[in-house]
Amino acid sequence: MQLKRTKPNKRVRESLTALSATLLAATIATQTDSASAQSYGGTNFNTTDNNFGPGVSYSEWDSALLVYQEAGGRVMAIEPQANLAVHGASGEVLTLGIIFDAVSGATPNGAAPSDKIQTFVVPLKAQGSTATVTSASGGGTVIHLPPTPGQIASAALGVQYIVAPNTLPMDKGFHDHRAAASLGWSQPLGTISLIGIGGSYSREQDYQAISVNARIAQNFNNDNTTVSLGINTEFDSSFPFGGVPTPLTSMTPAWKTPSTRNKTQLGFVLGWTEVVSRHWLMQLNYSYDTQSGYQNDPYRVLSLVNATSGEPVDYLYENRPNKRQSQSIFWDNKFDFGPSVTELSFRYFKDSWGITSKTAELSERINLFSSFYVEPSARWYQQSAANFFHSYLVQGQALPAYASSDSRLADFTSLTYGMQVGFKPTGRTELYLRGGYYQQTGTSHPAGAIGQLAQQNLFGGTNATFAFVGYTWDFH
Amino acid sequence: MYRRISTTVSILCLASFGAACSSIGPQPWEKDLMARKEMQVDTHPLLTAAEDHIYFSKEASSGGRGFAGGGCGCN
Repeated sequence: MQLKRTKPNKRVRESLTALSATLLAATIATQTDSASAQSYGGTNFNTTDNNFGPGVSYSEWDSALLVYQEAGGRVMAIEPQANLAVHGASGEVLTLGIIFDAVSGATPNGAAPSDKIQTFVVPLKAQGSTATVTSASGGGTVIHLPPTPGQIASAALGVQYIVAPNTLPMDKGFHDHRAAASLGWSQPLGTISLIGIGGSYSREQDYQAISVNARIAQNFNNDNTTVSLGINTEFDSSFPFGGVPTPLTSMTPAWKTPSTRNKTQLGFVLGWTEVVSRHWLMQLNYSYDTQSGYQNDPYRVLSLVNATSGEPVDYLYENRPNKRQSQSIFWDNKFDFGPSVTELSFRYFKDSWGITSKTAELSERINLFSSFYVEPSARWYQQSAANFFHSYLVQGQALPAYASSDSRLADFTSLTYGMQVGFKPTGRTELYLRGGYYQQTGTSHPAGAIGQLAQQNLFGGTNATFAFVGYTWDFH
Repeated sequence: MYRRISTTVSILCLASFGAACSSIGPQPWEKDLMARKEMQVDTHPLLTAAEDHIYFSKEASSGGRGFAGGGCGCN
């Protein structure tokens, strides 16, 4: 069929070319450039002022601020971020992104609650050391530590914090900053619909991550079908404050060696996007990822408890396997029901640590007026525990090779309730605000808890509230 | 046995669906709704990335929509 150059069909033709870009952007999982500037229909549509999309050079500016707060005085994070995508007339896209994080608050140290006062001491600054005081050191009382054979060579300073009875032990001195930048390029190449490369660098006070990715995508079937493949590799370095502790040894304020451990990661995402009907868009992804290297939380311990009373007798640093492979299947659907758009997605995840998880998300975008919409959403998530998860270890029993009490590796369910409102004063700008509440529910009183532990809440999960405000602007 | 049957049925369904792809889907002049911004898979990439980052730092799973991992030491 030959489309005639009449006004209505021009709109359709523009929509079709825009759709190709939509599909490509959708199937390239890590590509940050969206097709938000496409010339979609609407009352604000104007071919003179708002002509953005394939065949036209233009840029997209996207900036946002995230504020995240956990209940009970736990972690608070403030995260400003911005992204610029520059589109060439031939489909080239250059993306630049930056993110800053400021994180502070209390975070569980991994020990189990007790009906008695618990005292923990972490490194501050060893005498003669040039190390500076960073994330793991504040929030407690600075104390002088005498030389201790096998632990502290010379007198040093440590930070002591005391945890009240029947309270989840938390290190209140947690604070960190992160800065990250990303760069990407993609374009059509010959008969290939899209190829792209990208990379990112992230730096915290005690962690660094460098990643590189490449991707390719091809359209078929009148652009109703897109298949894509993305490959990502990452190199991380952990240099915790106080050094890297020896796994499953006693918690000590001594500075430890080595100071740095590394981790490498390699993964791919195979994607299939299908325009199933005029009203239904579907995406199906298969992901595989393998990680090798240091994956412990260097600040986290487990309680070693008396086999009868359940009282802590020591605190041991955790240990996780160096290898981890994971796979996931992600199925996303979008349905256009006239004034509203429904999104429904599912994910199944499985890894070599024994964790399986299921995720379901539902959102409903409702256009109330030509420039205003609301979007309520809900997310359900359930995971099983890692096979080395222990709420505590028992004195007198053989230590396992791997052990962690991190609640993120426990069996739990989480729910997220969200609401987004958006305002589009023109066809090229949007201001949006999203709020959400996140709630974890786990096994607070596991069967067989020993002695006083039977009376304690052994699930250290969290509840959090977050708000996100963003502004997008498309310009020539 | 049940698992093998369900796997076979799933593969057949996917294969049938894939084979049908060449004939399903709207015609070019029927894609007006698909061209709307709200029909993109990811309408707000920064928001999606931020929420994924929250989940990555509080749960054991990551990836699916994109690559696994989070480029930080928060998990």
